[in-house]
Amino acid sequence: MAGLNVRAVAGAQLAAIARVRWLAFVHSLRTSRGALELFSRIVIGGVIAMGGFGGSVLFGTGAWYFVSGGNPAWLALVLWPVFVFWQFFPVMASAFTETLDSSDLLRFPLDYRAYVVVRLVYGALDPATLLGGLWLLGIAIGIGIADPRLFVWSALVLLVFGLLNLLLTQMIFAWVERWLAQRRTREIFAVLFFLGMISFQLLGPMLSRYGPRSTPALRKLGTEVSPVQSALPPGIAANAIAAMADGQVEKAAAFLGLLGVFGLVFVRALSIRLRAQYRGENLSEAPTIQPARAATHALKLGWSVPGLSGPVTAVLEKELRYLSRSGPMLLTLITPIIMLLIFGLGQGRSAPGGFLQRSPDMGFPVGAAYSLLLLTNLVYNNFGADGGGIQFFLASPVPFRKVVLGKNLAHVMVLALETTVVWIGVSVLFHAPTFAITLTTLAGMLFAVPANLAIGNLLSLHSPKRIEFGTFGRQRASQLTVLISFGVQIVVFGLAATTMALAHYYREIWLAVVVFLLLALLSLAGYEIVLRRVDQLALGNRETLTIELCR
Amino acid sequence: MDVPAIVTEGLTRRFGELIAVEDVNLRVAAGQFFGFLGPNGAGKSTTIKMLTGLLAATSGRIQVLGLDFAEEMVAVKQQIGVVPEGMALFGRLTGWEYLNFVGRMYGLDRETAAKRAAELLEFMQLADQQRKLVTDYSHGMQKKLALAAAVIHGPRVLFLDEPFEGVDAIAAGTVKAMLQRMIARGATIFLTSHVLEIVERLCSHVAIIHRGRLVAQGSLEELRAGVEAQAATGNEHQEPHAGEKLTLEEIFLRTVGGQRDAAQELSWLG
Repeated sequence: MAGLNVRAVAGAQLAAIARVRWLAFVHSLRTSRGALELFSRIVIGGVIAMGGFGGSVLFGTGAWYFVSGGNPAWLALVLWPVFVFWQFFPVMASAFTETLDSSDLLRFPLDYRAYVVVRLVYGALDPATLLGGLWLLGIAIGIGIADPRLFVWSALVLLVFGLLNLLLTQMIFAWVERWLAQRRTREIFAVLFFLGMISFQLLGPMLSRYGPRSTPALRKLGTEVSPVQSALPPGIAANAIAAMADGQVEKAAAFLGLLGVFGLVFVRALSIRLRAQYRGENLSEAPTIQPARAATHALKLGWSVPGLSGPVTAVLEKELRYLSRSGPMLLTLITPIIMLLIFGLGQGRSAPGGFLQRSPDMGFPVGAAYSLLLLTNLVYNNFGADGGGIQFFLASPVPFRKVVLGKNLAHVMVLALETTVVWIGVSVLFHAPTFAITLTTLAGMLFAVPANLAIGNLLSLHSPKRIEFGTFGRQRASQLTVLISFGVQIVVFGLAATTMALAHYYREIWLAVVVFLLLALLSLAGYEIVLRRVDQLALGNRETLTIELCR
Repeated sequence: MDVPAIVTEGLTRRFGELIAVEDVNLRVAAGQFFGFLGPNGAGKSTTIKMLTGLLAATSGRIQVLGLDFAEEMVAVKQQIGVVPEGMALFGRLTGWEYLNFVGRMYGLDRETAAKRAAELLEFMQLADQQRKLVTDYSHGMQKKLALAAAVIHGPRVLFLDEPFEGVDAIAAGTVKAMLQRMIARGATIFLTSHVLEIVERLCSHVAIIHRGRLVAQGSLEELRAGVEAQAATGNEHQEPHAGEKLTLEEIFLRTVGGQRDAAQELSWLG
């Protein structure tokens, strides 16, 4: 081995990894499911590209406006949204994010540098990077049009800023993954994330509530915040460009150097994680051997639910136990309450604000709809968390429809609980929803829930994807499922919104109840039809289920 | 006349162009400890998956305890226990919860399921780990739990894919004793393993699959006699020494033609 050229070996390894990824992609097209996945990816990619180009024009125009108006320091106003989006989108929408399970690479004699390059390259293959990159390009072009002399310098600063974003995203993911790998740290992280979300999202409503009557205080706050934001990467990048525009080359270079310092800090923090991973760190639920507890001899019984058969109850119990042990899932489920809190605090008393502030009656329907929307994560990939356990369902004598029914019941119970909490939340923060609104919302749910469950059951059997609870960034839903679920939500919520609008127009809320109940009949019939066909569908898809979930 | 535990007729499975299992005709009598052997990629796991309903057969027929699998799938599954290749565990349940869940899924009432779950955990020496999540178990512990789950409902036919892989010697002894006790009570066990010594010690009957086709089937004595007869009629000069019986490993190697060619060497290994 001593005679081997390390750099040449690393290059060959990187080429081999790229080739393996390409072959995996090509082979995935052998099946019709793979082709459908590609189609969905193209559609979603198109939507992302549109967002990218639209954003480019928007941000570019903003940059042009600030520079041509002689206020290049204000470029921070376009760089901050790019920065925030780049860092938050991958965490909020991990379904779109391609991340590499690099632990698979550790068995190979991969050089540490090659390992880092692989991680970074795959980290760059996500929509946030693509969109962020396009937006920065738009900003550079906007600056170039406004002041062509600034183009080269701006492009350099924005390139460094872009790389910084990429490193920061990778660093955040690597650390978040570390914290979420163990139950205790996951719980702590969930609480911190929860608090962070509230604090961040409360900014807007607080401003809308207190803004109009405390402008001097806001101005003071703005003055105090300004130096803080200028000391952070978006502000520094804007200052680097502004200094060059003023002809202060040394100052501009110093700002660029400061960006470089941030980059080094991020690299250092990232490399701590990558080094640990490279050394073969195993992030499991039980990193330390826990002392075995003495066996308890008291016989505990499983659950019993009147009206449900033993197997359906067993699946229901299993599902609820699973959900209760998943921090990220629980976090998703409490988000509607956070939203209500935000809207509740944002309810300005003196000035009209957003939609809910003008129509507090809509608080309950909107909260309930939001709860349903979040639950689609689970409903559209019913078996994702079961992993190899799917083999048990396939080998057990229980008809698959009972398994699916048990899972659906668990999800409906969670939704019912959440809807109740939303109702209480709306009552506390706004006012108790009227009987008519409550009934309309419940009728709407009676329509929307079975429709989502029916389509969700079909997609769960057709395009299952294994979900790893222990890791955060590696979860990726089937792109086909993502695309279809978007379509379903557009239809379901479109129908619901139209119905509500009609009822509002005719000033007859009961009209909505009747329409929703009629739609619910159709939706329930559809659910029943799907449920009856589930056994056959599961048999037909058992190979896909086994292959996808037992990976 | 006793109904055979497992019968397959013309069992075939294709994956596109590849024929993984072709025209397999198996017959396993009730009460047999049956070993199903074959080299890697021979079609063992594919066959066991078809026999347990995890994979559809392209053609052919499967009967378990006289019931047609395709026609009476639920009734068949009620009678069988399975430890598949991937163990089929639910990582986010504790050991006790998992066994209890499996028991309920096989139609046991709450009390029976709970009682058997506790008993099995004790038997498999997992009782002190019952509150731990399955995902936190070691590989061997998971294997023991999968075995416990496969027998909780008292199946009449047990399908085990590599049941001893990763299980320590003490636990393996316990499991073997349990399996032999099941056989004594009339159950049938269909087992695949690469550890031929275990198969030889436990199984009364063996089938060997090679490149998707069944190449031998019968009692160990029948297989031995067959190989010896073949050696006597052919030009093979590998008969055992006088008084020595052929081991299962030798039978296996001669049946699948697995003796390594002396000239077959790695060019770069020297």
